[in-house]
Amino acid sequence: MSIVRIIMPEGESKFIEYITALRKVPSATCPDLNIEPYSKEFSPYIEVERDISFNSKMELAEYINGKFDKAGVRREEIIGKSGLWTWFAYLWFDSLTCFDSRAGNRSIREEAKYICSSDYRDYYRHLVAGPYYIYSLHGSGLSKIFLYSPIHEHNDFIEQIASRQFLISHQNLIEALFRLYWDNKKVRPRSGAQSRNRAGTLRRFVKVIQQLELTYDVYSLSSEEIIRLLPDEFNEWKEC
Amino acid sequence: MKRTINYTGRKRISRERISISFSRQNGSVVSFSLSRLDLSGLDLPSNALISVEAYYRTELKRIQLGQADSFHQILSTDLTDMGYPENLKFRIIVVDPSTKKILAYADRIAPEEPSGRKSILPVEFRDLGNRIWMITYEGDEGSPVLCINNRIPDIQNIAKRDSQFFMQVYPCAIREILTYMVFVEGVESVRDPSVDWNRDWLEFTKSMGIQPPLSLTPDDNQQFDKDEVFKWIDNVVEAFCNRYSQIFEKFVSKMEENR
Repeated sequence: MSIVRIIMPEGESKFIEYITALRKVPSATCPDLNIEPYSKEFSPYIEVERDISFNSKMELAEYINGKFDKAGVRREEIIGKSGLWTWFAYLWFDSLTCFDSRAGNRSIREEAKYICSSDYRDYYRHLVAGPYYIYSLHGSGLSKIFLYSPIHEHNDFIEQIASRQFLISHQNLIEALFRLYWDNKKVRPRSGAQSRNRAGTLRRFVKVIQQLELTYDVYSLSSEEIIRLLPDEFNEWKEC
Repeated sequence: MKRTINYTGRKRISRERISISFSRQNGSVVSFSLSRLDLSGLDLPSNALISVEAYYRTELKRIQLGQADSFHQILSTDLTDMGYPENLKFRIIVVDPSTKKILAYADRIAPEEPSGRKSILPVEFRDLGNRIWMITYEGDEGSPVLCINNRIPDIQNIAKRDSQFFMQVYPCAIREILTYMVFVEGVESVRDPSVDWNRDWLEFTKSMGIQPPLSLTPDDNQQFDKDEVFKWIDNVVEAFCNRYSQIFEKFVSKMEENR
């Protein structure tokens, strides 16, 4: 078990150095950031498992949410604590980078996936903060469409929707998105929903909603009303 | 002149018709009140639905006020469940209940300060590593935000009351913001800026008794005079310091006491 900590700026620099080094030398040694001045203990005291595997972003978000809930920590108290999310990424770095211990390979992505930015526009990119944020807004039902994928993967639903405050915070709109693009049988988004070349897919949904919101109070529309307003190009998705 | 196209015919609710303020406990924002919303003369149907949204960054909360003919003011709405309550902005939306179309709208409303003045430089406390403060341009339309390091003990009180902090931070912040506004962004029209925060900051400089140069657009080869702009910025900073001469005197006394 590990005690939850908050990465301090000194720790963040060390972590960035480590990530940079790994790109060149895959065997680079991971620094111990669980000591001061690199990190400090989070208050209240919470323990999490280090050696735990999550099958999806949903499992990760549920796990963290459960820990904070049990400790009486509210989402608004932690949502902007970038050092906390960076620490989680440090703790589960092997899983988040798909570390293969036999081959010694890792898949290192852009820094924002592990180092949580204090800039809210990049916040959703973080592989731990992003899932938690979405889960804290929409719970285990609607969040599925964002959190179905493995924890190291970033999907287009997160990229297109979670990056836009107006879209991600509207429950009915997310419900409409879910009804259009979620495949209950396959437990993942419908095939082709994230395609760039097909009519009525996710990217078009975002564009059309942005147009509708100039005229309609999208917030007060039910998911059914939103779907009804979508033009014909969405018919294929509406019908299922 | 700022040009906008309004295809939908929705009406704009002007800022003067709205009065929103924060309530604080121990210096922190805990709730807000909407004590005035004047919709008279806008010719809105009596059954139009009115709501107010509080939002900032990732956070959004909507409160229904009722119908246009009978809506109620909000005396105290809890904001403790929202992240970043200090910098919340508000929007008022009036909607046709049958079509759900927006009939009237007001956006980016900052709460009134206790003195009735509008804040042009929101303050945010966050972890800045080993820096004491910095300016970010993450507000509406890229407007400036003064970020202060929350690792410094009692920093919220220091930022408000400490003369040393005030005299060392604010003049530098003003200089930095004006320099950014002109040399990074550029202000297309000094008389009628198209960006709201540029307008607010130019009003602020005028309120100091300092008139801006003819051009604040570096690309304007005809009228832009770099030296004149630097002098203008310097004059604004000096005028600001002069306006707060009492705080400067406090700062001097404090320094003398510490000798």
